[in-house]
Amino acid sequence: MIELRSTLTGRITLAVLSSLILLFLVLPIVVIVVTSFGKDAFGSFPPSSWTLDWYKVLFTDGSKWPGALSLSALVACLTTVFSLTLGMTAATALVRSDLPLRSAVYGLVLAPLVIPQVVIALGLFLLFEPAAMLGSPIALALGHTVLASPIAVMILMATLKGIDERLEDAAASMGASRLTVARRITLPLAMPGLVAAAIFSFITSFDEFFIAQFLSSVNTVTLPVQVYNVLQYDVDPSVTAVSAILIAVAVVALALVGVVRRLSGSGQQDVLLPTEPGVGLAAGGETAS
Amino acid sequence: MAVLAPAPGSTAPVTRKEQRGRRLSDRRTRFGLLNAAPVVVYLLVLFVYPIFSTLMLSLKGEDGGFTLHWYTDAFRGANLEILLTTLRISAETSMLSLVVGFVLAAAVSRLKPLWAGLVMVVVVVPHFISALVRTYGWIILLGEHGVVNSVLTGLHVPGAPFQLLYNELGVVIGTTSVMLPYTVLLLYAVMKGIDRRLMAAAASMGAGRVTIFRRVYVPLVAPGLVNAGVLCFILCLGYYITPALMGGPKQTMVASLIDTQVMKQNEWNGASALGIILLLLTFAGLLLLRLLKSAGEAYRNRGARS
Repeated sequence: MIELRSTLTGRITLAVLSSLILLFLVLPIVVIVVTSFGKDAFGSFPPSSWTLDWYKVLFTDGSKWPGALSLSALVACLTTVFSLTLGMTAATALVRSDLPLRSAVYGLVLAPLVIPQVVIALGLFLLFEPAAMLGSPIALALGHTVLASPIAVMILMATLKGIDERLEDAAASMGASRLTVARRITLPLAMPGLVAAAIFSFITSFDEFFIAQFLSSVNTVTLPVQVYNVLQYDVDPSVTAVSAILIAVAVVALALVGVVRRLSGSGQQDVLLPTEPGVGLAAGGETAS
Repeated sequence: MAVLAPAPGSTAPVTRKEQRGRRLSDRRTRFGLLNAAPVVVYLLVLFVYPIFSTLMLSLKGEDGGFTLHWYTDAFRGANLEILLTTLRISAETSMLSLVVGFVLAAAVSRLKPLWAGLVMVVVVVPHFISALVRTYGWIILLGEHGVVNSVLTGLHVPGAPFQLLYNELGVVIGTTSVMLPYTVLLLYAVMKGIDRRLMAAAASMGAGRVTIFRRVYVPLVAPGLVNAGVLCFILCLGYYITPALMGGPKQTMVASLIDTQVMKQNEWNGASALGIILLLLTFAGLLLLRLLKSAGEAYRNRGARS
């Protein structure tokens, strides 16, 4: 409503309010990072003196953090592989073929994003518990892929739509087999999307709590589950350092996505947040194309 | 050849298909089925079947027969209270997220693209930082000697320090900060799409600032508000990290109860029934959204014709 000559006070009020809201979003993150370097981890803020002790504690003998960190990293890598494979084939089917029941398939793929995660977690528990697979990295990764694959499919569908299909047709008309077309034409062009999908799958799994909480066993827990347990039952100041590491991983990953997008010059910022699925699902998947 | 009938929403127009001939179209269908198979099989085994077995378990009595006992149990005593608490906290959080999200999205939609992009980065990046970590940040901020209370005490606000943690206020503050990125993004998308000339036109017809906001701007944003509100509500229903860590016993949510029943009491049937209730509430929300959407469209179409 800039055209309507908004009043100065109106504009100032809006600016102040929105700055406060941004502060509201950022403050909890800043406070963790600052506290993780402070001597009094649970004490006053800002800290009276600085230290790296909480980071050192993470790697001392008997610490449960390195095990949790490596499990989370392993699970996140497996999840990335699974959801890229599923994502690429599903996106190809949805964008590049005549698929019967297309909107039903699209709805199924996106459904995990709106179904309460605790319900998915409970169901997976019922599936893996009898199979004695609780705490297994494979089970955790298979579970995380349920949440990560819809995001991968969305990103890769946008990527495939952005690739001119005539390039593939041209290669095929010159005698290239389907596999050659995929390997020499589609994959290189889809690379930025694949990298973005990989990174989002990785963070989705690395930060995931509900499914990991249900599928963990006593001795093997992921990093977020360990953080939750400490926050709920223990007093362990090194949890600030772990939290700061989790923040760093997310920020670095998102920065990477930004760099890849800039390098490839693709403008698909709108797939950053999975806001569309709820809308798409509520609309019965009509937004599929 | 029923398989070849174009699926709803299929991109390939029929004419092109006819031109290319049936063999090619046959191949494109087979190619689609082949590529869709992995994800469909995967989700049937690891998503649909687990939810189905949850449903079966919730209907199974101690003797193995069919019963609705677990559902009646869920709507009694302490369980009913937890259910109502979940609905109340979800409603409070959605309302607050909508109001706060509306203000921020409205402000951002008036910014120049570069600044809007920067602000949206500040909104989106927190979304990808573990909700657990952000909740922990709020616990440090809102404690009795936390930053917020220090500032309030320093400003000599009467009554400070306040009890901001382990009560509903803390839960709503924390959960809102987790849900806010969603509402801001959904509302921002709608607000960006609004034709600002409509407001200018209303002004040229003599409408005041308040009238324009109330009669033009809000109705145009309304579909986005409904969408964001219902989605936020649905997401809150199954959420429990923040309420579990920032709330007291009175702020226990259904998801937390499910966790306790499975992990501590080995009570799978009851937990399954609660899970199915959450699922049904989610479906109800999505259905409501769809009904409101078509009602809104019908209303607009009628307006356009008259």
